[in-house]
Amino acid sequence: MKKSEWSDRELEELLRLMPKIQDHRDPRDIYQNVSLKKRKTKSWMLPGIAAAAALFLFFILAPKLMDSTNYSHDKTQEQKSSGNQKMKIADKRDTSMIALQKDDPAVAKENSPKTVDKPELMSTNSTKTAIYDEEVGDGTVLTYWIPDPDVQILIPVSIIVPAAEDTSRLTLFNENMANLKEKEWGLSDFYPLDLTRELYEENNSINVDVPENHQYGLGSMEPIFINALINDISSNSISNKIILTTNGQPGIDFERFGKQENLDIVNKKNHAFFFYYPKGSDYPFLTPSEDSYKDINTAFNAMQTDKPVLGLKSSLLPLQPLNDVTVIDRTLYVSFKGHSDLKDNQLTSSSFEALLLTAKEFGLEKVIVKDSPITHIGSFDLSKENKVPVAPNLRTIQ
Amino acid sequence: MDSVFDELYQKYHHDVFQFLFYMVRNKEHAEDLVQEVYIRVFKSYQNFEGKSSEKTWLFSIARNVAIDFFRKQKGWKEKLLEKFDWSTNQVKDEYPIPEEITVQKEEILWIYKCLEFCTMDQRAVIILRYLQDLSIAETAKALGWTESKVKTTQHRSLKVLKKQMELFYEKEGLTSEKVRVER
Repeated sequence: MKKSEWSDRELEELLRLMPKIQDHRDPRDIYQNVSLKKRKTKSWMLPGIAAAAALFLFFILAPKLMDSTNYSHDKTQEQKSSGNQKMKIADKRDTSMIALQKDDPAVAKENSPKTVDKPELMSTNSTKTAIYDEEVGDGTVLTYWIPDPDVQILIPVSIIVPAAEDTSRLTLFNENMANLKEKEWGLSDFYPLDLTRELYEENNSINVDVPENHQYGLGSMEPIFINALINDISSNSISNKIILTTNGQPGIDFERFGKQENLDIVNKKNHAFFFYYPKGSDYPFLTPSEDSYKDINTAFNAMQTDKPVLGLKSSLLPLQPLNDVTVIDRTLYVSFKGHSDLKDNQLTSSSFEALLLTAKEFGLEKVIVKDSPITHIGSFDLSKENKVPVAPNLRTIQ
Repeated sequence: MDSVFDELYQKYHHDVFQFLFYMVRNKEHAEDLVQEVYIRVFKSYQNFEGKSSEKTWLFSIARNVAIDFFRKQKGWKEKLLEKFDWSTNQVKDEYPIPEEITVQKEEILWIYKCLEFCTMDQRAVIILRYLQDLSIAETAKALGWTESKVKTTQHRSLKVLKKQMELFYEKEGLTSEKVRVER
């Protein structure tokens, strides 16, 4: 068939005869590699950040540790290794409240009893990581969805900023975007995004405008950018549509999805909260699953196992087994019966917050624990009802 | 093993691997890249809305993975200095040809070598249309193009292949004549 001239048909036939090239690896090996590969990326970066953060924390916290009268010396010694991380959050929580108080005298007055929280938090040596009603005061809670360093998942991180008259929540969101400390928190440097967001009040939509030379439509950026846009707006506004424009012209070009002019915000719920540990940290972010679950029992079951491909860890192990999970009138009842080794420590506290946040995903407002062998987990009083949080993963940008 | 992985593996693994191999022309790279496809699939599986078939969706991810791979190959300096135009760029490779191809008849080997002269986009169209047997409409969905763009690219890629096959014939013909003379 050697010849000097080929017709299209002959070439097409020849192409169809090209041999199948097989991947001879065992599918289990491939699955294993997928899990490992995800974890290996950028492994050089985070230890450095963690070391710098640890050093920074040491200088900040050393004087406080010396002066503190709230700590039992023995307990401090005993829990030294994990104490620094807990202190970090406690300290940040305190700083955030101080920031609020400084900016707004009214808030300062209203929040003054908050300072008594500190000894309570310290005495139990574990800290709430989410934001609860009583802590918001007159502040505004903003939640930003930030990719992990491998850009696989989005993690909601919340801040409290002083509310300002005549300043919309969207404006506050845009203004504070540049102040996030993603790298310091062990996440991807993602914000500020090179775009403008503007509220179209007449049709309850938000216009997102990107510049002509934007990079958000490129392969790997595309899904994370779209998801972050949707999640950011879903968490911080009641708008139900995003209108996309490029330099004022309709639509944004995406490699995979083609040109998109609108994104509908479907407020997906019923997610389960897992732990995401930034590299080098014992302190997890509480991160919602990508999957939605049909009911809260199914979600709790899912939370008992890791999701290695996404780097998510089980969040319910310290509370297992959960018994008699029932829902009555927006209240979740759960029994810790037979759980004699339930511990009052940071891990259990984070686990309880994962339970609260998941309950919120299912539209519940409070959680009542029955038959608990201990009365407190950190600052959660298990003899009373506990309200679900306002937002997960409080951090400060001061 | 994850049930989603298991299902995707059973249904599409070999097709996606085949696509990636002919795109990057190296088995080891294709093995790495097919894993990257799974990672991206897991990341965005919940966003799959069924607007296209699962298979075309997977090919679109695989194509993006291949493009990202070539971008990384080009290096940071070049990436900063130029805006890479995938519709015109030709990436030359010098990887060994796998045995599955070398044992085929000569024309198959030729056309495999000629594929090297196609741009990334042309190669993607050739693989999807003739090796994966997708229709024009399915190829358009997988690449996120219009059908007319697929047709134009297909036409151009066949033209490139035709030209290269003829050059091969000339070159090979001269070589065989030379050999004959030497004998």
